[in-house]
Amino acid sequence: MSSPLIVASGLFKQFGSVQALAGLNLQIMSGEVYGLLGPNGAGKTTAIKIITGLIESTSGTVNVAGFDPVRNSVEVKSRIGYMAESPILYESLSPRDFLEFVASVRKIDRRSADKIVTQLAEAFDIAQYFDSPIATLSMGMKQKVAFIASLVHQPPILLLDEPLNGLDAKSSRIVKDLVSLHANRGGAVLFSTHIMEVAEHICTRIGIIYQGKVIAEGTLDQLRNKAGSKSETLEEVFLKLTNEETEVADTTKILGEAIFNR
Amino acid sequence: MKLTEAWHMSRIPYREAVYRSLAQERGQMWWGAFGRRRLDKEGESDVELTKRALRIAKFDKLIVAAFCVAASAMPFTPMYFGSHTFGLVSSISLSLAITFGFTVLYAIQTLSSFISAESSVLLFTLPLPKEDFSRITLFSFIRSLDYLVVGSILSQVALVAYVAASPMAVPFMFVFSAMNSVFAVAIALWFSRLFYRSLSRGGRSKGRTLQRLVFILMWGSLLLGVSLLLSIPWYIVPLLEKALFSLDQISSLLLCLAYPFAAGITISSIVNPGAALSGALVASIAMAGYVVLTCIAGRWTLETVKHISRGTTVKLARVRAEDFSIRPRSPLLGCIVKDLRISSRNPATAFFFALPVLETVIVSLLIANYQVLRVSVILVATTTGGIFALLMPLALLSAEGPGLEYMKTLPLNAPQIILSKALVSTATYAPVPLTLLGLALMKHLTSPVAILIPYVTILAIASASIFEIRLFLGSATTGKIAALVHDLKKLVTGVTIIVIPEVAYGISYFVSSNHAFAVSAMGGIALVELATAFYLLKRS
Repeated sequence: MSSPLIVASGLFKQFGSVQALAGLNLQIMSGEVYGLLGPNGAGKTTAIKIITGLIESTSGTVNVAGFDPVRNSVEVKSRIGYMAESPILYESLSPRDFLEFVASVRKIDRRSADKIVTQLAEAFDIAQYFDSPIATLSMGMKQKVAFIASLVHQPPILLLDEPLNGLDAKSSRIVKDLVSLHANRGGAVLFSTHIMEVAEHICTRIGIIYQGKVIAEGTLDQLRNKAGSKSETLEEVFLKLTNEETEVADTTKILGEAIFNR
Repeated sequence: MKLTEAWHMSRIPYREAVYRSLAQERGQMWWGAFGRRRLDKEGESDVELTKRALRIAKFDKLIVAAFCVAASAMPFTPMYFGSHTFGLVSSISLSLAITFGFTVLYAIQTLSSFISAESSVLLFTLPLPKEDFSRITLFSFIRSLDYLVVGSILSQVALVAYVAASPMAVPFMFVFSAMNSVFAVAIALWFSRLFYRSLSRGGRSKGRTLQRLVFILMWGSLLLGVSLLLSIPWYIVPLLEKALFSLDQISSLLLCLAYPFAAGITISSIVNPGAALSGALVASIAMAGYVVLTCIAGRWTLETVKHISRGTTVKLARVRAEDFSIRPRSPLLGCIVKDLRISSRNPATAFFFALPVLETVIVSLLIANYQVLRVSVILVATTTGGIFALLMPLALLSAEGPGLEYMKTLPLNAPQIILSKALVSTATYAPVPLTLLGLALMKHLTSPVAILIPYVTILAIASASIFEIRLFLGSATTGKIAALVHDLKKLVTGVTIIVIPEVAYGISYFVSSNHAFAVSAMGGIALVELATAFYLLKRS
């Protein structure tokens, strides 16, 4: 780990009357897989979109590999590989056409593009779907295509918003291993997920985002300390830190009585 | 389930089909890009999108139905100038042909999302018997075409009742008009199924690519067919009248057998029982055959709708890729190829690829009647072609669909996006100068220099496209009417940019009476426009 590749300071984002981000701060170093964990609507996707330059923050600053995503959007976008929460791709194109377009825009030479696409397509077993329109593919297949597109230019920074959605066990494992490998080679990864085991397994540092700001950050052990217990799982730590532990127990009790007590 | 309940429930898959075809693709219909409102909250966009999709669908249905009714009435106008008997034959035949073309064109665009059965999927989890599913799907199918079919049948029946003044002719016209709609819907359903299947299969072989190209051209020729049908009353009716008067026995027999002439001849023989008994008999027998065919087409349509309700209409057969090689190009060329691919594979925008053919036909028709190629005619032909080319940017932007969100994540700047689309739109104008050059070689020109006008206009069209795309990509406004007016302004801007150099030509010629000077002035203005467009493009 050395220099920070992503720095976000005091990010605020207002959507009408909804406060999506309320002073979010985070810093991701090279060689790091930073897991962003939070309940639905906590601001994970908004934070990632601001870092990517897809939306502008209401206030605060972002720096990605030394560039401002709004002022230097082309520089930032050429250095990042981004995967959206739900894969939004060109549905009428086939994966081949789509990757051809992405490789063209990213100015990748044919030999490098062929090599990386062939290796990833074989690993993800998408031969049968490579010339079918993306619209006809399953969610998992679309995720695979989006993941290949995010890696085709071998970017130093990966911004992955729920990348394991819909993936089969084999592909999920490949993605996790590639993410770790990318960090080991000096890259930086921002990995948003709901799956605690995944965060526990691959993230070198975890940030818990709640109501638009990071309320706790660190390694799993540091988070356990913060939650006040050493033996708990990340899920329990997460529920404790977000004050949702009692609420979950009460809700389950009420629902159990309402649905199953006939 | 009661029929009224099924009709009420059919709104769910109908709305879903509408949403899928319009909203999910962010306005698949080319005019769907109109009225874009600025959205402050991400969550609101989906709600707004759904509402807009339904609004567009209703507006779309009404507009197309009104247009179809008006177009179906047009062939009856020559009746006031020609023979009563033959006027009725050609008017009915052409009116049926026009409504047939319109119904197919409209149905083909709306039924593609219906075919996939995804719109009915949300009903599958409900504890309903198969018959009810079929009934609900059938009703949602009817909902997507109701205004158009009912409108065209009623207008044709009313027109025949008015012009023929024969109570006997009215029920026959009702049956023939209904038959016409059944045929049109069956053909549209067949094409939609074929198009969906062809696009869904994918594949990279030359055969598959050729097949897809044929489909795109088919889509295009459909639009072309409709536009020609619209011009038929003015161009073809007189010729048809002439042909009907001077028929030999074999062509007369063939005409009596052919649809929709058989329908026109049958009704005409009811209105005028004394005229051409043998022809009327042959036409009536032919129509009886068409009634049987309609029953078969109707039954096939019902069966297909039933299959759609069970999700068994299209079986996807995937082709395994032999290799994973890709061919990266320059970013600009990559964008152009992507634009061409996505717009050609979207049923709602694919027909824009027929624009060059359409432009050529219109320019040729405009000039065909003149012995001398006058400058005024060249100016009109050039402007018409230019206006057609200006429809392309909107089509290209509409075809982007949700993919536009992905494009925002790529290291592309606005000028590259604008330039790629402007180049495609400018290219669609190319047949106009070429056709005019071809015609200039065959006809006399009032001034040889005038043939440069359509070439100078290429610069104006490039500038207009850049301005238009820049405006469409840029500002959005709040409020539905304001958004519509705002977007219309963009199109007006484009047209103005094309017209300004032509006005400069007119003024210069008026002042100098010198064509060469006027063309130079036009070129100068067009260059200034292009330079301004590029300057603004650089600043985007």
